[in-house]
Amino acid sequence: MPVGSAVGGRPPSEAPLRILAIASGGAIGTLARYGVERTVAVPDGHFPWPTFLVNVTGSFLLGVVVVLVVERWPPTRFVRPFAAIGFCGGFTTFSTLAVEVTQRAQHGHLGLAVGYLAASLVVGVVAAALGMLAARGRLFPPWGTPIPDPDDIAVFRSRPSTRASDDKGTGR
Amino acid sequence: MIIVGLAVAGALGAVLRYLVDHSVQRRIPSDFPVGILLVNLSGSLVLGVLTGSALHHGLSGTWLTVEGTGFVGAYTTFSTFAYDSVRLAENDQWGYSLVNVLVSLGAGVGAAAAGLALGSLT
Repeated sequence: MPVGSAVGGRPPSEAPLRILAIASGGAIGTLARYGVERTVAVPDGHFPWPTFLVNVTGSFLLGVVVVLVVERWPPTRFVRPFAAIGFCGGFTTFSTLAVEVTQRAQHGHLGLAVGYLAASLVVGVVAAALGMLAARGRLFPPWGTPIPDPDDIAVFRSRPSTRASDDKGTGR
Repeated sequence: MIIVGLAVAGALGAVLRYLVDHSVQRRIPSDFPVGILLVNLSGSLVLGVLTGSALHHGLSGTWLTVEGTGFVGAYTTFSTFAYDSVRLAENDQWGYSLVNVLVSLGAGVGAAAAGLALGSLT
């Protein structure tokens, strides 16, 4: 069972469901990318905005999803296969970027090719980092309050006396 | 109809990426994302061939969309590449992160160029 062993320690019977989650996420992500690429036709010699936007937003989203799944949420089985491997993986694309860069370089737009490649790398990596920070509550306080560290939550749970502060109206 | 073809191709591409990535990482256990690197390089080569065939040998636009945009587009991934680069840097594996960025982009563009040349020839 190569697929079963690939998921590491889980019962093999779960592997088909993981594959199904990846397939559905991949299908939806691909259609979403096609929708973005269709809205703007990019002539050769111009900056490929659709691919750039897809890759940058997908990188941000993947940063958010992976941190939520790995660090924030209780263990989930199908969120990562569906949202991360399936949707974000299928939504973003590396091959289109590589071909677009090559075509622009070959058609005499070397500056555009290098600029597009560099912009995709820098903005994409920064977007992934910002997504990770946002999911950790370090980027901006979502819904008005920073997400506490898991350690802090453990302290709260082990010391129920701190709940008394809620009654005084200072807790939240 | 093209929507159905794209959805099926995207599903297959994403699943193939997962299978290739896992079988590679199982054989070469490393923090370096060699599985995704191989996926992105092979996909860039194949998309180059498909694009070259479409430009010079009349591969239909519909097939280029389904196979190229759908299958190869979903097979390769930019988001995991970006995330891995940040993750490696965060773990103080700056060398891995830098090598991942340079090899992915350099060899990716090289693979696409080789693919375009191949697709124009055959």
